[in-house]
Amino acid sequence: MTISRRKFLGWLGAAGMSTAFGKSAAAATHEHFTGYPNSFAILHDITLCVGCRICEDACNKVNHLPPPDKPFTDLAVLDKHRRTTTKAYTVVNKYENKGPSKGPVFYKKQCNHCLEPACASACFVRALTKTDTGAVTYDSSVCVGCRYCMIACPFEIPTYEYDQVLTPRIQKCTMCYPRIIKGQLPGCVEACPMEALSFGKRKDMIKLARMRFRKHPDRYVDHIYGEHEMGGTSWLYVSGTPFKDLGMREDLGVTPAPQLTAGALSSVPVIAGLWPALLAGIYAVSKRKEKIARTEQEQAVAAAMDKKGAAKTQTEEES
Amino acid sequence: MWKGKSLLLGAGISVAIVIAFICILSVFDDQALSKTPDPTQTVMYRADIITFDNMDAFGKLKKPKAVFLHDLHTDALEKKHKDCMTCHKVENGRMSPKFMHTKAINREELTKIYCDNCTKCHSETIAAGEKAGPVKCDECHRERPLIKSSMVEMGFDKSLHYRHLKAQKDQCERCHHEYNEKTQKLFYAKGKEGTCRYCHKKETQSTKTEKVISMRLASHFACIDCHQKTKAKQMYAGPVRCAGCHDATEQSKIEKISHVPRLKRGQPDNVLIHTGDQKVRIPQMMRVPFDHKAHEEYNDTCRVCHLASLDSCVKCHPLTGSTDKKVITLETAFHKLGHQSSCTGCHESKQQEKRCAGCHAVMAKDGQKDAAECLRCHMVPSPERTGVLSTSKAAKMARLMPQLWKETFGPIYHVQVPKTVVIKNLMDRYGPVEYPHRKVYDAIVKQLQSSKLAEYFHYSETTLCLGCHHHSPAAGNPPKCENCHGAPFDENHLDRPGIKASYHQQCMGCHQRMGVTKYLSCTSCHKERKKELQVSSK
Repeated sequence: MTISRRKFLGWLGAAGMSTAFGKSAAAATHEHFTGYPNSFAILHDITLCVGCRICEDACNKVNHLPPPDKPFTDLAVLDKHRRTTTKAYTVVNKYENKGPSKGPVFYKKQCNHCLEPACASACFVRALTKTDTGAVTYDSSVCVGCRYCMIACPFEIPTYEYDQVLTPRIQKCTMCYPRIIKGQLPGCVEACPMEALSFGKRKDMIKLARMRFRKHPDRYVDHIYGEHEMGGTSWLYVSGTPFKDLGMREDLGVTPAPQLTAGALSSVPVIAGLWPALLAGIYAVSKRKEKIARTEQEQAVAAAMDKKGAAKTQTEEES
Repeated sequence: MWKGKSLLLGAGISVAIVIAFICILSVFDDQALSKTPDPTQTVMYRADIITFDNMDAFGKLKKPKAVFLHDLHTDALEKKHKDCMTCHKVENGRMSPKFMHTKAINREELTKIYCDNCTKCHSETIAAGEKAGPVKCDECHRERPLIKSSMVEMGFDKSLHYRHLKAQKDQCERCHHEYNEKTQKLFYAKGKEGTCRYCHKKETQSTKTEKVISMRLASHFACIDCHQKTKAKQMYAGPVRCAGCHDATEQSKIEKISHVPRLKRGQPDNVLIHTGDQKVRIPQMMRVPFDHKAHEEYNDTCRVCHLASLDSCVKCHPLTGSTDKKVITLETAFHKLGHQSSCTGCHESKQQEKRCAGCHAVMAKDGQKDAAECLRCHMVPSPERTGVLSTSKAAKMARLMPQLWKETFGPIYHVQVPKTVVIKNLMDRYGPVEYPHRKVYDAIVKQLQSSKLAEYFHYSETTLCLGCHHHSPAAGNPPKCENCHGAPFDENHLDRPGIKASYHQQCMGCHQRMGVTKYLSCTSCHKERKKELQVSSK
């Protein structure tokens, strides 16, 4: 079959129109979603943290995690930068102070509970859910263990129980969802003796951070980490030391992870559902056109032939 | 036909991918290569490098600037019994700091002067069989010079000024001068002396009528010339070599006088700060008595406060700002934070010192000060009420007023400071804290007495209490911490810590800022309780 240039352009136009009038990419995701109203957040004021590890201890207790190899009172652990594990949902790391104050700085690391979590969007069984409290929760009963969430997370937080042969789970901070819904504070927040962790509504926590910037402009880097990073997170950070010096990624941008893939993914149903029908339609139409043309041509030829035949006989007769 | 086309297309795409892959790899390789450190070269540092900054005026140069070691040449010439005139010329009776020329010349001429004279002397010396500097271009003009400058700036501090004053027997005219536009000559005006930098700026300023040379030129003209002439008279003189002023170790050897007598320039002891022309515009604000004499002692040069001239502040900073011109109003000039030349700015910077930071660092810096605090400085009634005072009477008022005010308005409570305070209502994991309240109070009083500024502003003993017992009026019986601080995260008071955190933030924050490292761990203040006790208290 040969395709004429004109025909090809026609198809292309039709396909384009069908995509344009289909479900738009932006509508597939929550374009102006700025988190659930009145969702909670935790503000970590890094300038106030003294690195006592009491939050780690509290996290271990409220989540009934196995006891650590070294006790939580052992502060020598801080000398090495750690990652969250299946047995420690949160870790405090020590960094060199590059801010205006003296002494080392401590930064507590755990799941940031993104407003639009990459892990939840990557999970095809909806084992991870963003709840309206702000917490991103995990349901191990539906989890298939694909570990897509681990790859999706820009903060490298979810961990996998490789040592559990039969029932491996994804483990990460739950923002103490079971406690929050009971009106209790998250374990780490309640335990922090310095109130380096503040808990409240996200909008209030942002207000509080700004209040501190205004009162002590010389003490802070004028930026709330997590206000817009990856579309915003439910853990917010303020610091005197630049965030990049605390090992916090500054290259994440402000677009929530689902939005990055939603455009491409939302066109899948359009293309998969609409295009075959459309192309088949076009094909049928063109086929029919060809058929009609052919019959018309045949008829015309037959008519001409008939005419010619008739004329011939007439001439013959005349002659 | 169709098959062949798609085959070609496929082949083309795969070739493109391979090429792109190779390109990416090579980029990574390059990056890896560029990270290898340069072979470390030993670089020497000297204070006497002349950088030929005068060539900068001609834009981008063809070759990198030459490295010239001035002291090396001075020493070499001295050995040969040659003087500075070998290289320098005389300008207006003084030795010019310029090399073999005095007047400003163009690029070509200047280059010629440098290159010809340097190489001429060097080759002559080599011809005489002695060691000499380079004669080839690239040996002076190195892309990566092996000698770098360690020059430090020289300042004329109070001590140095006094030593010169004494040596010159109070003849200010030896250095200070004014410029007469009509006669185009320098003259001395008594009582008009100011710091050199008021006129001699960083760069030479030229106008139609006047040319004011840069501070660098002016100081090298005046200082070195005088030092040399004094030395020639076999008298004690200051340095003439570069390192004498510009080398860090040499500079530290310069004699310092600990108690410098006051400058005699007719400056007042005490003043009521002028806020404008008293006859035309009578300010409503209470005036500020200022102890000029005391502040002279705290600063090394007048320039710290008198930025551009030794006139009164209001001469440059108007009382009212204008909408079309960007002027720093008098109010800003006095109160701007973060500036050493403003009253509040300088005082606030003192609050950041270790001995003050314990209390002051926590105080908000959002510029919202209690209006009552204004009265600590603004205390003399306006001329409307006192009448316009003569200078001597104003000075007397300025002297007496702070004292009078302190006696009248500054209430001094004889506070009963408790010896120990036991904090036990939060006991859980740790036991009670026995806080040595009196000991801490006494330690802070001792710190306070070491500073005149602190003593003045903490006019009563109760002011001190405000460091911890904040946000309540200064009195001998402050409210309890629990009256304001309760459960954490109160939506109505977002930035008010709960009771536990307020203790920890207050105590540990203060210890950290004041360098009291002894009390920073949990058990240094309260003992850990046994497990059973913890459970029973819950």
